[in-house]
Amino acid sequence: MKRSWCCLLLITSGFVLSGAGGIAHAAAFEPTKPIEAVVHTGPGGGSDIFARAIAELMQKEKIISQRLQVVNKSGGGSAVAMSYLAEKKGDTHTIGFFTGVWITNPLTTMEAKTTIADLTPIVRLVLEPAVFAVKADSPYKTMKDFIEAAKKNPNQLKQSGGSVTGRDNLVRLVVQKATGAKWVFVSFPSGGERIANLLGGHVEAMVIEPQEAGEHIRAGNMRVIAALTDKRLPSFPNVPTLKEQGVAVPVIPQARGILAPPGVPKEVVQYWEGIFDRFAKSANWKQYVEHNQFEDGYLKGPGLNKFFDDLTVQMREVLKEAGAKVVR
Amino acid sequence: MTIHGNKELLTGICLGAFGAYVAFEAFKLPYVSEFGPGPGFFPLWIGIGLTLLSVLLIVANLFASTAPENSKSQSRTAIGRALVGWSGLMLAIGLLHWLGFGLSLALLAAFLILALERRSPWVALSVAFGLALGFHAIFALALGLSLPAGPWGF
Amino acid sequence: MESIGNLLLGFSVALSPGNLFWCFVGVFLGTVVGILPGLGPAATIAMLLPLTFKMDHTAAIIMLAGIYYGSKYGGSTTSILLNVPGESASVVTCLDGYQMARQGRAGPALGISAIASFVAGTVGVLGLMLVAPPLARFALRFGPPEYFALMALGLAMVVFLAGKSMIKGLLAMLVGLWLAGVGTDLFTAESRFTFGQMELLDGIDFVVVSIGIFAVAEVLVNMESRGGTELFKVPRGIRNLMPTLKDLKDCRFAFLNGSVIGFVIGVLPGAGSTIASFLSYGAEKAFSRYPEKFGTGVIEGVAAPEGANNSETGGALVPLLTLGIPGSNATAILLAALILWGIKPGPLLIQDNPGLFWGLVTSMYVGNVMLLVLNLPLVPLFAQILRVPYFVLYPGILGISIVGVYSVSNSLFDVWMLGLFGLVGYAMRKLDFPAAPLVLGMVLGDGLERALRQSLMMSEGRLSVLITRPLSAAMICLALAILIMPLVHKVRSFRVKAVEQDV
Repeated sequence: MKRSWCCLLLITSGFVLSGAGGIAHAAAFEPTKPIEAVVHTGPGGGSDIFARAIAELMQKEKIISQRLQVVNKSGGGSAVAMSYLAEKKGDTHTIGFFTGVWITNPLTTMEAKTTIADLTPIVRLVLEPAVFAVKADSPYKTMKDFIEAAKKNPNQLKQSGGSVTGRDNLVRLVVQKATGAKWVFVSFPSGGERIANLLGGHVEAMVIEPQEAGEHIRAGNMRVIAALTDKRLPSFPNVPTLKEQGVAVPVIPQARGILAPPGVPKEVVQYWEGIFDRFAKSANWKQYVEHNQFEDGYLKGPGLNKFFDDLTVQMREVLKEAGAKVVR
Repeated sequence: MTIHGNKELLTGICLGAFGAYVAFEAFKLPYVSEFGPGPGFFPLWIGIGLTLLSVLLIVANLFASTAPENSKSQSRTAIGRALVGWSGLMLAIGLLHWLGFGLSLALLAAFLILALERRSPWVALSVAFGLALGFHAIFALALGLSLPAGPWGF
Repeated sequence: MESIGNLLLGFSVALSPGNLFWCFVGVFLGTVVGILPGLGPAATIAMLLPLTFKMDHTAAIIMLAGIYYGSKYGGSTTSILLNVPGESASVVTCLDGYQMARQGRAGPALGISAIASFVAGTVGVLGLMLVAPPLARFALRFGPPEYFALMALGLAMVVFLAGKSMIKGLLAMLVGLWLAGVGTDLFTAESRFTFGQMELLDGIDFVVVSIGIFAVAEVLVNMESRGGTELFKVPRGIRNLMPTLKDLKDCRFAFLNGSVIGFVIGVLPGAGSTIASFLSYGAEKAFSRYPEKFGTGVIEGVAAPEGANNSETGGALVPLLTLGIPGSNATAILLAALILWGIKPGPLLIQDNPGLFWGLVTSMYVGNVMLLVLNLPLVPLFAQILRVPYFVLYPGILGISIVGVYSVSNSLFDVWMLGLFGLVGYAMRKLDFPAAPLVLGMVLGDGLERALRQSLMMSEGRLSVLITRPLSAAMICLALAILIMPLVHKVRSFRVKAVEQDV
């Protein structure tokens, strides 16, 4: 009898110890199969290219033992991707690549039931700056010229852009509100059409990313009249910001970063933070950021949560004033 | 009225009703937006167009000859067979989530061969198996496309 | 004389063994991708992008471009043999191509498709080489009013697609237009007819509708009777496996028509190969001596759209390579690829990278030859698919349809929609509603509405903008003329009948 009790004690303590060892092991999470990287665009879209580039760079740097497999979940802006992540509750081998749309989409679309607050933030990687561009032979040499002209002829000038809830239109709305100028926003679904309409003289202005604009400027077809950022852009040192030109508006950021599904254990979040910490410091990544003219926007932890909260509030306000239907 | 006439009449009524529905829903959407037509503009006119044309269809048919132009036998069994086949397809689609593509396709093939073509179960089984395997080999393995997978991974 | 120098430079690049190899890989992959319904060149190019990072850039763009224009060759195969549109633009090929297959002329159909693709593809490359920069600048003059007029012209094609009953054709077209409107409105972000379904926020995918209405409905119709082998006559003998000289002669105009229309439409960003195919088909029918035969298996009805969707690829590369503006999904990814490799696409691309540009252009000549050589001998092989017993073929077609739809968006919802549209297509067949106008409406509906609203936004609500601009006015007049034509015809024939009755 005593022997069986001893055995039982031994076995139980064995379990307890191995359990403790197991917990100690769980603190160092390691992925055991390929990671699903969810993007909300189809193949070739902005997020898709971004995710694939990061997957490629991670392979090069050998920072992560498993490879990143890009999964396209496009539909309803970010709705399908976000709801896909929400369904994968607790899944430790899935991450999502977010952009500004992930915050604004649930605010305006009833069917987009998952909000950014439902998901687990990991890290913000970059901020995409934008510039305000006009055709090279247009009479507007500064933002001031454009605003003056817009004030004198309300709703005569036109800007091409994407969706009405996208950054291009939001920039227009805050500038209109601050200056009292009014001009028309014309939506075109593809970047190519937006640029074509500007170069063809059908619209007068557009908001464009500096890297997209680069070649057209070099060829002498486009002119940048304002940088829509806090500080001047290194690639356009002679282009003043909106603030410098006397237009006091908040900068509408276009951020890109990583999220995880809800209910993911803390060790996994820490693991990802560690990975992206090392990744963000790597030379290849810094080169990529510079090459694409992104702003390094590395942010994690409570600062990241605050960023999301602030952005949600700001977007809700701007959208409401724009007259867009805000449902959340 | 002949069967032919009835068919057109029914179609006209259904399409007319659909058109009315579309117009009704479109009416709820804003007709004009800040500059120019709003989201409700096009659907409203599409709905109205559908309703008007449906009426035209019914009217044109009332004046048509009573004898059908081409005596196609609207055999009930023919349509029945097609609908049975369609139900099989929908069932297979429903099973995609639970059984995965390979099995669902195999079941569909077996069903079609047994129920509609009345061939022997051996033919059904071999074709079903062959198709499922073939599809898996070409699409999943050779081309690396992701097919709906059941709990067993295929 | 500069052009000769450029051509020589180009050929020296394109004919190097490495680039030849990658060209072959590209066109081969493209053909395979084209044959598969659903999966398109855009997705394939995107998936292969990471592999290109380590490659020489010229070789990489040659390969990716090969996938792009190669896919247009393959798209007609399943359209002709199985009534399954392999690619959006191949929908028009289904109309006459499948009918030809049913009459035992699958071989000539496939053959003429390859030949037309070759002729038009080559013309497209010629155009790219000779007139690219000025044509690109001309294309910039196309603003929303011109696009609206172009879409209206496209919709006028319904006259050529409606068959016997114009009313039914118009009804089908309106349903197609409605289907195009399902989803999120671009200008106000309002959801329309989404029935609360998140998956419908982006609208209904065209591939789902086209495969459902053509392929699945066809299978359902054939299920009505046992013993479907009578429906497929397998061509026997080599003479029946290739287009005859007479066929080639008949298609002279179609080759020209397809090449020109396809190329011009391709240059316009946003107007796709599907529109080019429809317009080319309509034009072919309009100028044919026997228009009423179209839709029953006329070889020009295959040659024209197939040519158009090939020269469209040449056209689409014009704004990409001369201005850095992508005109479609596939060219957008090519643009992204160029940027990723550090090559800056824009008006200065030709100057900065003459080896790349001329190498690419000349490789397209080579690629088109490769594709002709690849595809023609495969025609008899493909035609043998019709020998497969129908009870294996029909589940197979259903399987291909599901795979095709699923490969586009990995969404089971889309597969359900496929089933639904299969039933809709079947109902349309039983009730004598033509499918082509529905497809036409769906393809053009988006663009039409968008262009109209964009035009009105830009002109402050004045509709006159559509008529005051010369290009759009011309196209709208043409569209109206086409629409009024059948009415005039009917009045005339009515009068003739009345006169005859009097006498």
